[in-house]
Amino acid sequence: MTTVAPPPLSNDGGRARHPDRSDVATSSDGVRIAFEVFGSGDPTLVLLPSAPIIHSRQWKGQVPFLSRHWRVVTYDGRGNGRSDRPVDPESYLDERFVDDLEAVLDATGTDRAVLIGLCVDGVWRSIRFAASNRDRVLGIVGFAVGVPRLAPPQPHYVSAGQQFDDELPTSDGWQKMNRHHWRRDYADFARFFFEEMASEPHSSKAVEDAAGWATDGSIDAMLANHDAPFDMTLDEIEATCRSVRCPMLLVHGSEDTCQSPARAHRLAELTGAPLVMVEGADHMIPGRHPVLANLIIRDFVTSLPTEGTER
Amino acid sequence: MVTVPSPDAPASASSPSRREQSRARYPDETGFIERDGVRVFWDRYRALRDETGNGRTILLMPTWSIVHSRRWKFQIPFLARHWNVVAFDGRGNGRSDRPADEAAYADTEFVADAVGVLDAIGVERAVVVGLSMGGGWGLRLAAEHPDRVEALILEGAAVAIADPVPGKRNPPADEALDEYEGWGKYNFHYWRQNYPDFAAFFFGECLSEPHSTKGTEDCIGWALETDPETLILTDTAPYLSSAPSDPEASEPHVIARAFAARVRCPSLVIHGTDDHIVSFRHGEYLATALGARFQPIGGGGHLPGNRDPVRYNLLLRDFIRSLPGGSR
Repeated sequence: MTTVAPPPLSNDGGRARHPDRSDVATSSDGVRIAFEVFGSGDPTLVLLPSAPIIHSRQWKGQVPFLSRHWRVVTYDGRGNGRSDRPVDPESYLDERFVDDLEAVLDATGTDRAVLIGLCVDGVWRSIRFAASNRDRVLGIVGFAVGVPRLAPPQPHYVSAGQQFDDELPTSDGWQKMNRHHWRRDYADFARFFFEEMASEPHSSKAVEDAAGWATDGSIDAMLANHDAPFDMTLDEIEATCRSVRCPMLLVHGSEDTCQSPARAHRLAELTGAPLVMVEGADHMIPGRHPVLANLIIRDFVTSLPTEGTER
Repeated sequence: MVTVPSPDAPASASSPSRREQSRARYPDETGFIERDGVRVFWDRYRALRDETGNGRTILLMPTWSIVHSRRWKFQIPFLARHWNVVAFDGRGNGRSDRPADEAAYADTEFVADAVGVLDAIGVERAVVVGLSMGGGWGLRLAAEHPDRVEALILEGAAVAIADPVPGKRNPPADEALDEYEGWGKYNFHYWRQNYPDFAAFFFGECLSEPHSTKGTEDCIGWALETDPETLILTDTAPYLSSAPSDPEASEPHVIARAFAARVRCPSLVIHGTDDHIVSFRHGEYLATALGARFQPIGGGGHLPGNRDPVRYNLLLRDFIRSLPGGSR
């Protein structure tokens, strides 16, 4: 395994809440995962990273609020932030990310937690972990519901995926999602991508932040992640979703550019989880609408059965 | 499935500025005063919990009639937790009348409207908060009606009190130009041609900080509730144009100093270091002239109350709490 040292991160000063503990967990394959712990309330909430494209600062709008009430754990996913940045596709298999979550739970002495995540990296990995670790997951809040294959991918991803390895004559729009363009001008891709993900008016700060966290990362890690195979069938994915027993709440934007609302509806059907559809919202609900997201999380956590009662 | 609107969803997709946004706090009483046939609309909000038990009232002055009292949307819900708050739409915008003569927009009229609103709601003295031109009117109110002003808070006050700086001046606003670029858009001919573009330019300058798109959009929406002819009248009307003690004085800084010298109440001056409308040095000088508490906003533009409402609100709260009789 080859890794590169992480550079200093952007926009990392002046936090509203600083961590009480910063440390490193070691995942099953030896990759080191940097985590932070805030506050001490019960239960513990784990905010999963959207990695390797961005890192744990994506939750800056949530941590100060949630950690007033509960213990909050964040971590940088492999490939960005202060975690290791392996550059081989094998390091970015789905299972590796699920193992990273387990390693962080173990390293923080967290027996059971509420898992909160965004898109595939947060929602699907939470589901996959909960399916095989029922006793460790108290509940799941899934924003911008990303579960592969539950509904067709967005058309712009299909076309970009087909041309990802091609040398294109132009780099307009979704053509920026391309191996060669990433090498030439990754910052240009990052800016474009997050403008698409946060397409609502008045999103300039959310876009600037996310594009900054993206350029904190590694193009080699992003390419390795892109090249990692994912071979679960739709049947296997649906069976995994159905097997989750913990309370779950889904939150999705009606204008989500990344994950179609059809995926959220399908996951709600499979799991019986309630779905909050935010009319007019795009993909980045926690970053773009932190107050709304925080109150949804608060109400969900408050509604969970307390320890010792039958679930 | 539960459907909730996105918090920033426009009130109506086809016409976002025409329907009023929902408010965090609605007024407890509203009304009009009428002076010389001109009706001026006011809103009053009662303190949720009267901190001092003395019924203290905060009077939020209007500013240039390019906006109206919704400008205070971030301050009203916060201040009215602790104190009674009254705001009024300056003549020329909002729900107030738009008289068609210049004299109706003199600074003395806005000051008299403020006194009239206090009379109408039965308030003897108020903490007066003024922004930009409202700062000039607040200054004049405090100088001429000291018994009505408990304290004065000025934000980006349009009071040209510092020593004049010689240099290039913009052409007169009533002179037709071949083209209107940058501050050349501050021109009556251009306002008549393309008022929305002027408003967009002007508020882009007011909110010079990054990520100000929402504040700019709000202000442009309020600007479009009045019209260029009204705004021209407000611009040419007398404004701090003669000094109380020195009727011969004509220089703005001399007049401004004469008003400031008459203010006796406690005061707070807030000014952005990157204010594109009223240069920061005027804020510094004004604070010194008033003996005011001075709060620079590093990197701030002309409208910190819109752009940095939390910080701004806390500054107001702490100052008001520090006033005599303002115990916690």
